[in-house]
Amino acid sequence: MPRPPIDRDFAERSLAALTSRGFQKARVRLASSDQHELQAEFGHTNLLRTTHNTELDLLGIVDGKQGTLALNNVDVAGLSDAVENLWAVVCGSRADPANDIAPRQPKRVFDSGPVEPDFDQMYERLAEVLYHARTNYPTLKIGTGAISYVSRHVLFVNSNGVDFDTTRAAYHARMMFTARDGSDVSSFNGAGVTMAGLDKPIASLATVNELMRQTTEQVRTRKVPHKFAGDLIVTPDCIGDFLGFLIGNIGNQPMISGTSLYKECLGKLVADPALTLHSRPRDLVGGYFVTGDGYEAQNATVVDNGVLKTFLLDQYGARKTGLPRAVTGGGAWVVDAGSTALADMIRDVRAGIVITRFSGGRPNDKGDFSGIAKNSYYVENGAIAYPISETMVSGNMASLLTNIVAVSKERADYGSGVFPWVRVADIGIS
Amino acid sequence: MSIREVNLAVYGNRFNAYTELRLQRNSSTQITLLNGDVVANTKTSDGGVSARVFKDGVWGFASRAQIDDDAVVATVDEATRNAALLAKHAARPEVVLPRAKTFKESDFGTRKPRLSQQQSIDFLRALDAHIAATYPDLKSRNVTRLDLDMEKHLYTADASEGYSNTTRSLLYVRLTSTSDAGAPVEYGHTFGGRGQFEDVFEDPSALYSEIAEVYRHLSNKRHAVLARAGVHDVVLDSSLAGVLAHEAIGHTTEADLVQEGSVAGDYIGKLVASPLVSLVDFANTYNGETLPVPVYVDDEGVESKDTILIENGVLKNFMHNKESSFVFGVDPTGNARAYRFSDEPLIRMRNTAILAGKDRLDDMIASVEDGYYLLRYSNGQADATSEFMFGVTLGYEIKNGKLGRAITDTTISGVAFDMLKTVTMISDEMNWTCAGMCGKKTPIPVGMGGPSIKCRVHLGGE
Repeated sequence: MPRPPIDRDFAERSLAALTSRGFQKARVRLASSDQHELQAEFGHTNLLRTTHNTELDLLGIVDGKQGTLALNNVDVAGLSDAVENLWAVVCGSRADPANDIAPRQPKRVFDSGPVEPDFDQMYERLAEVLYHARTNYPTLKIGTGAISYVSRHVLFVNSNGVDFDTTRAAYHARMMFTARDGSDVSSFNGAGVTMAGLDKPIASLATVNELMRQTTEQVRTRKVPHKFAGDLIVTPDCIGDFLGFLIGNIGNQPMISGTSLYKECLGKLVADPALTLHSRPRDLVGGYFVTGDGYEAQNATVVDNGVLKTFLLDQYGARKTGLPRAVTGGGAWVVDAGSTALADMIRDVRAGIVITRFSGGRPNDKGDFSGIAKNSYYVENGAIAYPISETMVSGNMASLLTNIVAVSKERADYGSGVFPWVRVADIGIS
Repeated sequence: MSIREVNLAVYGNRFNAYTELRLQRNSSTQITLLNGDVVANTKTSDGGVSARVFKDGVWGFASRAQIDDDAVVATVDEATRNAALLAKHAARPEVVLPRAKTFKESDFGTRKPRLSQQQSIDFLRALDAHIAATYPDLKSRNVTRLDLDMEKHLYTADASEGYSNTTRSLLYVRLTSTSDAGAPVEYGHTFGGRGQFEDVFEDPSALYSEIAEVYRHLSNKRHAVLARAGVHDVVLDSSLAGVLAHEAIGHTTEADLVQEGSVAGDYIGKLVASPLVSLVDFANTYNGETLPVPVYVDDEGVESKDTILIENGVLKNFMHNKESSFVFGVDPTGNARAYRFSDEPLIRMRNTAILAGKDRLDDMIASVEDGYYLLRYSNGQADATSEFMFGVTLGYEIKNGKLGRAITDTTISGVAFDMLKTVTMISDEMNWTCAGMCGKKTPIPVGMGGPSIKCRVHLGGE
């Protein structure tokens, strides 16, 4: 089974059609993708899926006016209509001198991941993880479990001479589950990992087995004993929710509008020195080769020992703000391991919670947040006391990062991100 | 190839097991003005053909982006092969799907001439210019148009057939100011609903009075105080009751989540709420009015019917697709819906609402000695335990029956089947919203509705 085929001639014809129509700058992204998925529901493998897709994204600029058109079923016969549609989209817009396409870069071909799916191994790994759950955790109910193989072949060309031919393939596993013991029910829980191959059991990856185990003991929960300010141990499954405010606020929109809390913070401490955050699109299985604005992606350190090293501005955002463009498009996050063993981290907590899932409202522009601690535990006098429910955590996302007390030595690798456990002080818990 | 005009029945001779054949195209437009600059200007069309085949208790699924004869044939054959292949390993022949046959057509496309992109952007620019001129102290303005048209044509092996063009047009206005302490403060509102842009929005000036309300609330939020963390008496405004119906109860009564362990599985026939509470997932119509997300035939070819979930406080039914209806031994309810052409249908809500009561909103607020009046939400989440949460972006204190200071954004939560027993008043109004996008595995537009509700919930805060 070959890589998803891509019609280079069609991509080049599309680019030529755009420039012939009068676009002064143009970009074409042509993608072809295949997905093969085995899915189980309620413990039974019951769906085999094969999907094929092609996508054509056209971007054009005329006199500083820009627009995009994204279609997924265009052929040569439909190309002229697509170009005319884009022309109408662009001409109706407003000129902005910051609109541009990526400059010429060396032509590159990128390829990573397994060439074709191994269906037998997919079936065996899915059956294996279902068996693992059934035998080790009889009260666990797997709502959905799936293993998929996705291969995506993308051609990026633009009128400045950019020519990137990328193929990336990977396996993905995802599971949603609850536990039920009599009439006692746990919260929903879930796990997902991205892999280059299926050489290891799914339950052995990242925190999959631990989440299953914890879920079975979360069927009976209690509230925290009282309202207090305490420590939060954020697990790798949950840390993205707490880094999201910083990441979101150093991107285009809040930086351009001037509403970002971090707009004056380049080179300054935005977190405790224990935190180092990288974006590694070139290293992770779940990464990427080309940024959304058409540059070859590079790894970058975003926060180095607590200091903000780069905003996450693309070419447009950089031009609008006069600040440097980020060499990464974000994502593929990696947080460096710390120096504290997880067991010691828990031992150091007098009163707090271990939070594995945060279910909360979007933080406001100032970073204030509140939300429920799901699939979480109360910690008292250095030991995990019991699983909790109906527990709200409140605080400020910006302060939370500066109140980091410790980062664990241990990390979980999800393929799309690598994260440790992080202990934070002074969070409102009620 | 026009999705509506394709004769799908001719492909029935390729079906050798129960098969669903669906053509679908989702079309969307997004235009965003950030402080007057056009930062997004995109049209998207995402469509193709899918087939799903049920054989010996397992499913085969396939899809392709093309919509032509070759693609349809190849897709049906590939789904058939997938079902047969999986059946060799995991057959469950004891599972038998109920049969359903119907024919329904619905089209909510405009009959008016479509606006050009220039006219669309001019509309937004006029609105943005009005905001900039009228409220010059704003720190930031974001005006976004986001449309979604979902066109589907379905044919099943039971000769059930449906065509639908379900449309919605939304305008998001998000304004940012500065608090007394110099920090950014934001508030926004979503306008619009079912229908294409030309039918939903006539002139920017028609929105000016509502924009003034948005600005008034934003100004109040500049001096907002933190809510007090803990359980409080609250009045949930009618614009917020729908998300309560959707998140707190709706998800727990989807049959697939019941199979996964939802606590609601034990509660059929039991009192789960105050007798004041009745809750229905409406298919398409309420009191003679077409609802925000009308579904007449679902993506398994089942005629969609209203599903009474709670009646006078008693849990009555779950929402079903064909397979869950076999498991539970009931009729399917027409809740199987797919978002993209390449998605299989899942059990999804359509227009979920708590029914109106007899109280007046003013009386409800006046009855609260010390609590909160909550008006707008940002997002929400459900759980198997029925413990729900949603983010609140606008709320006010109630002190001695009168509205007080605005509160900063917060989150409310509760255990639905406990919280609904605390409902003591329900207003006589009914407010439907169409801006919701449910996120269970795949996104999908949903309608939500309800009256104002007085109850007790847990607030986040200081």
